[in-house]
Amino acid sequence: MNKRRQREYKGRIDQVLATPKLQDALHKFGDAYLVSRDKAFTGLDFEALRSEIATMKDGVRENRAELLQQFIQNAEAAGAIVCLAKTAEDANAYIAELAQRKGAKLAVKSKSMASEETHLNVALEKAGTQALETDLGEWIIQLAGQRPSHMVMPAIHMFKEDVAELFSKQTGRQEAAEIPHLVQVAREQLRQGYMDAEIGITGANIAVAETGGLVLVTNEGNARLASTLPKVHVALVGIEKLVPTLEDAARIIQVLPKNATGQALTSYVTWIRGAVPCADEEKELHIVLLDNGRSTLAESPQCRDALRCIRCGACANVCPVYQTVGGHVFGHIYIGAIGIILTAFFHGLDNAAELVRACIGCRSCVSICPSKIDLEEIILSLRETIGEEEGIGAGKNLVFRKVMRNRKLFHSLLRAASVLQKPVTKGERTIRHLPLFFSSLTEWRTLPAVADKPLRDLILQQPQRVEKPRYRVAFYGGCANDFLYPELGLDLVTVMNALDVEVYYPQKQNCCGVPALYSGDKETAVELAKQNIDAMLEGKPDFVLTTCPTCTMALQRDFVAHLKDNPAWAAKAEQLAEITVDAAGFIVNQLGAADAFSQLATSEKVTYHDSCHLKRGAGVWKEPRELIETSGHELVEMAHADRCCGFGGSYSLTSHPDIAKMILKDKLIDIAASGATCVAMDCPGCMMQIRGGLEKQGSEVRAQHTIELLAEAIKSSK
Amino acid sequence: MDLLKTFCTAAEAAGAVLVECKSPAQAAARIAELADGAVLLPVSASCERAQLAEQLQTAGVRLLAVDRTQAADAAAGVTSAGFAIADTGTLVLESTAEDVRLASTLPPRHFVLLDRSKIVADGLAAVTPLRQLHQQQPRNYVAYITGPSRTADIERVLTIGVHGPKQLYILLLDNWSSDLLEM
Repeated sequence: MNKRRQREYKGRIDQVLATPKLQDALHKFGDAYLVSRDKAFTGLDFEALRSEIATMKDGVRENRAELLQQFIQNAEAAGAIVCLAKTAEDANAYIAELAQRKGAKLAVKSKSMASEETHLNVALEKAGTQALETDLGEWIIQLAGQRPSHMVMPAIHMFKEDVAELFSKQTGRQEAAEIPHLVQVAREQLRQGYMDAEIGITGANIAVAETGGLVLVTNEGNARLASTLPKVHVALVGIEKLVPTLEDAARIIQVLPKNATGQALTSYVTWIRGAVPCADEEKELHIVLLDNGRSTLAESPQCRDALRCIRCGACANVCPVYQTVGGHVFGHIYIGAIGIILTAFFHGLDNAAELVRACIGCRSCVSICPSKIDLEEIILSLRETIGEEEGIGAGKNLVFRKVMRNRKLFHSLLRAASVLQKPVTKGERTIRHLPLFFSSLTEWRTLPAVADKPLRDLILQQPQRVEKPRYRVAFYGGCANDFLYPELGLDLVTVMNALDVEVYYPQKQNCCGVPALYSGDKETAVELAKQNIDAMLEGKPDFVLTTCPTCTMALQRDFVAHLKDNPAWAAKAEQLAEITVDAAGFIVNQLGAADAFSQLATSEKVTYHDSCHLKRGAGVWKEPRELIETSGHELVEMAHADRCCGFGGSYSLTSHPDIAKMILKDKLIDIAASGATCVAMDCPGCMMQIRGGLEKQGSEVRAQHTIELLAEAIKSSK
Repeated sequence: MDLLKTFCTAAEAAGAVLVECKSPAQAAARIAELADGAVLLPVSASCERAQLAEQLQTAGVRLLAVDRTQAADAAAGVTSAGFAIADTGTLVLESTAEDVRLASTLPPRHFVLLDRSKIVADGLAAVTPLRQLHQQQPRNYVAYITGPSRTADIERVLTIGVHGPKQLYILLLDNWSSDLLEM
């Protein structure tokens, strides 16, 4: 770990958290975006569309050498001059040399992230050519001397007053801070540039191998001007923009604007093939195909899906971390979840390391990605790479490698903690204040105390009266359920027994390994996977039940991934994955027993918080709602029910408690606004975060696991 | 819903103004009313066949030669559309001839004449004529135009006319042109 870099990054977070105006704007944008996006996709099957794009783009990656050849051949046949640039420096050198050769004083640019990636403007200035950004957002940030904070809306972090100030400096007049006026100022100021510029520089959204043509997807019309008026047109295009055919291009165009901004289509889609007429002559078209790490990315089995990206920027739009800190903090040149991955390959792991750790892992990006990229999984694998290269820190190293892997030691330490914590818990179940340098951790939420007796002990004393069990299930508790919330585990037994299901608790089960994995220690995660597979399969259960969706994902997904190439373990991992199911899903889908709770509960107004890993990992979100409603509660939906609560495991404890706090604040506002007296959820992690936040606020609203509500209903009806 | 209706709904949603016309003469008259100044009229087969230049002049419109210096001063550009795409309200203009690009990018208003029968369902259906355009000539500049030029770059507020036309008028005609590849 690079302490200096980490400190510097935290400093930037502190700075941006001090500007609530930005957070407010990004939250409003996130809300409005989802509404327009839904509208834009009405009548279309997003899942089907994104599967098509993913398959097509994977084909492009596999056949990239041939497709690149085909594209170059067709482009050259149409009179384009094609340059293959291995690095950013190569691309810049080619374009700067061209500008010098043309004696160009001015180059007009339309928006191009690839040129941001290579820092082309700097290279042009050095060559004596002024680069004039003509995209309104890009021009604003050029005047401000900044970089884009969003891939599609580069100046989303600025306000009309800021723009008016910048424009006033430019025009020498006092420009009013009114948006239509400012847009008109930009039109007038930039118009002459197209006439004067010797070179027009654009990017491209798509390069079509079939035709050798480029596609530009834009709204403002500046790319049309920049590719029409100057005598020379330079298009800087990442090689991942290749598609085989015009149909493939049409499919991307169908999805890109809808997913980017919720527009059915942008104002302009421009198809340019070859050197077209230009003022009675022929245009000189240079296509600079940029590699700069893309081929390396294609060779990485863990990360290569990122090449499917069509640069819509949606992963940022829905990201709670982005909405909290913005793209200047949660990004390098490319921002948001995809930005983390691209940064690692285009700008080096060092520039990506802090961003990798700033991801909270909520998977909201995964569900919105139009190319079906599992961004979270790729970011996790980068975390592992960084962990291996830089180390995960001495403290974590000790905990994961020396303690967690040794279950007996780990659990005896937790038991010891339940005694040692007495001075701070004062015998209560929650910790309201922590002393000294830990105090900030309990400033904004209380923390649960380690229980006197863990679930693994208590459950042995719980009598089970199931005469003819339908199933015998093994309960995988997970650390939080076992040591912080044992009563939740006992409630699960009550609920299962009422449904004629017998529960047992394999005593050799250990931590699921997610904390280690998320910190970049895969070795520990793999060791824990093996321990748990043996522990859980030993008693030959019909099912393995979980109450924590993060554990569920570990058992269902991670163990299989860790061990798939290990012949001694792969089949066992698969077997465990197949029988693992979360408790609410089990009741509704496997038992078909939601009705068993019909009207048992004393009705309460309940709102439901979707845990990230339950909804977007296990795909379970209807089931708990059905159980809550069937049991007799009034279910009221809160806004942003499936937005992360900001827990994220060690994220809220050690990595980024300051960001976690802000995300929790949003959640508490939504809970309060719902008018519910109880917020239900299916994750002990979310319980810790939300219950702790509510308690600290002195709120009357209680936070309960769905299983707790069901147990309550059973007990109240008796 | 039929294609024309779908197209009209989508085009209006994108901010285009639809103008129903019974004849080229009526189209010319409407352009005369709305252009608010001199007009660029690039050469096109359909416009020539309908003698649109003459009709415009009869209606009192001043035509400018389509070149770069004049184009910047024109109040409007008048072009035909090859065809349209219904689901997004998009016009497709074969714009390889630079005149078409100048007329459709520089002036503040853009008038597009479209035959009501030349509408395809969606972007995928548009690929067939698009590919034919690519096959017809070795180099191309094809423009899909959906509504006027727009931006939301300041505080995400949708604002019209940042670089291209501020108004897009679609003049709907019958018997104007039947060939999807003809402008």
